[in-house]
Amino acid sequence: MSEETRIDRRSGVDRGLVAMFLKMSPEERLRANDNAFHTIQELRDAYRRQKANERKPR
Amino acid sequence: MPTGGKKPTSASLGEVLEGLLEAGVDFILVGGLAAVIQGAPVTTMDVDIVHSQSPENISKLLAFVKSVEAVHRRLDDKLIEPKERDLSGRGHVLLTTRIGPLDILGAIEGGRSYEALLEHTIEIDFKGHRLRVLDLKTLIELKKTSTDPKDKQRLPVFKETVRQLEEKYARRENKEDRDNE
Repeated sequence: MSEETRIDRRSGVDRGLVAMFLKMSPEERLRANDNAFHTIQELRDAYRRQKANERKPR
Repeated sequence: MPTGGKKPTSASLGEVLEGLLEAGVDFILVGGLAAVIQGAPVTTMDVDIVHSQSPENISKLLAFVKSVEAVHRRLDDKLIEPKERDLSGRGHVLLTTRIGPLDILGAIEGGRSYEALLEHTIEIDFKGHRLRVLDLKTLIELKKTSTDPKDKQRLPVFKETVRQLEEKYARRENKEDRDNE
């Protein structure tokens, strides 16, 4: 599907992503969200660690 | 006294839902996770529920939140456990638990409580339980007047999800009609 039809021009919604999500079962969607949740947590933790290290006196 | 309540150690929103169902709590899943389950590709970081405020249900809910070491989500480091009276009002109780963030809402937009929302729910099978979820169309109606930037951003995604769902059902019905001819 071309980018033009995949993304709704007015709202900016990724229609392809919606279609992909609708093919999953409710449990698969929940798992996908949990995976995203964990990834976000890990990235935030890594960012915090990085910032803390930068603040440490050398 | 909760020890790990400040930050979930192994957060899983699925586990929070399963725990509530296992505990026999009567609730309706609302908010972002309700939309996720119905197919909206958004990411959410907490479980939002509206609960039945019968005394029996409040006892079950309180026992559950204690079992997962829930404390009020706060900006400072104070660990304050939720009390029965917190769960008996119309307000919002925002908790951090050992298994993930849980928002317990006495009522949502326009003061809608558990009983008022029941007719706008769908039931889905989830890990051997029946999970009541606020339907996406009602979620859209409730969020239309929201001033929360997060809601404004998500609304077009919710609408597109409903549009595609309706298209899908219409196609399925047409096919069934053709097959029956």
